[in-house]
Amino acid sequence: MTNSETPVLEADGGAGAANYGKAILNILDDFGEERNRQADSLRAILNVLEDIDAEKIQLEANQKAILNVLDDFDEERARVKEANADLQAVNEAMRGFVAVAAHDLRSPLASIVGFASLLNAKWATLIEEDRREFVATIERQSQNMSRLVDDLLTLSSIEAGALNMRPELIVLGDAIERCLEAGGGDAASVSVSCSPDLAVLVDPHDLGRILGNYLQNAFKYGEPPVRIEAVRVGDSVEVRVLDNGPGVPPEFVSRLFTKFARAETANTRVQKGTGLGLSIVRGLAEANGGATRYEPNAPNGSCFVVRLRADAGSRW
Amino acid sequence: MKVLVVEDDPDIQFLIRTVFSYDVRFSVAGEAASAEDGFELARSSEPGLIVLDHGLAGELKGIDAAPKFKEVVPNAKIVLFTAHAELRVPAGDEPAIDAFLLKTDSAHLLPLAQRLTGLGPLSA
Repeated sequence: MTNSETPVLEADGGAGAANYGKAILNILDDFGEERNRQADSLRAILNVLEDIDAEKIQLEANQKAILNVLDDFDEERARVKEANADLQAVNEAMRGFVAVAAHDLRSPLASIVGFASLLNAKWATLIEEDRREFVATIERQSQNMSRLVDDLLTLSSIEAGALNMRPELIVLGDAIERCLEAGGGDAASVSVSCSPDLAVLVDPHDLGRILGNYLQNAFKYGEPPVRIEAVRVGDSVEVRVLDNGPGVPPEFVSRLFTKFARAETANTRVQKGTGLGLSIVRGLAEANGGATRYEPNAPNGSCFVVRLRADAGSRW
Repeated sequence: MKVLVVEDDPDIQFLIRTVFSYDVRFSVAGEAASAEDGFELARSSEPGLIVLDHGLAGELKGIDAAPKFKEVVPNAKIVLFTAHAELRVPAGDEPAIDAFLLKTDSAHLLPLAQRLTGLGPLSA
């Protein structure tokens, strides 16, 4: 029976179809939800991937930062290594300095202590002439020692950057003249070429020591005629002290202005010296904004140069 | 006892001469400023004692010259008399050197010389 074949449709008045429809809608809803969930999951995955990317970028940045730090470490280590090498060189120089300074201080002290002991022990039996000679020796060696102590203290002030100086404008010709007056007999034979209006900006005491040292060196190690030349060079004035002696051995020139450096020549073996003079000259010149150098004096002899700041108004 | 003084500082030469003048058994037979000159004097004067400085006027340093002095005068006693305190140990290792004395200890030079040469102290 046809009617009986569709009893349900008939019986529920279309409710079955509606149920199907609902079911389908439900299924479709479910699909929609599923799709939403999938979309959510996808979004979540994308978010995670984004996070991973961000993490990766952060990691790369961190890695870069670490590499930079390592580079800095390497640079720092190289700097520390270099500083260590410098310190070692300073230590070695210091050890050498102490050994030579100790010897040079003991030498005059040997005479001072020796003759003072003799005076003390033998006073009653010594004749007047011997006493006087002992005392004269003590005085001379005390002066030697005093000069050496002065040199050591000056050098120490130079190295500590603690020089007490007061640069002022000095007429160079007058300073050279004063230096020659103080230089004794040998100084009278020195010829000078210096324009009267050349002026330099330097501490007067330091200038006296620089010129005095160059001159004494010329007398001790060089040969006459000794001459002094001063010329304007740009913003500076160069003072040159020239002699006609054997000159400085070429292999020694690079160490010439180093403390305690003394060339091994027949002349330096005869002439006593501490090897401090030229290192002090260089230190004083540099502290006054100047410089020093050595040149051979053709055809023979030495030329010691000091370059000093010129007065702005000074002319040839 | 003849003494040879090898020393380039005239004041120290004078000091050594004066020190030995207080014992008539010693006489300074010669003074040289360099080891090279000292060898000549050692040959000619045959000293029993050599007072030898280290930093000298010639090429040779005192500590290096000592063996040569011993060769020239084997019986002479050698005192290395120097301001180089750091040479005390190397001087002790050098068989040619019989004694080391710092120049600032010159008051001990005569007693040391008396002992080394076997003369002993002066009787009063």
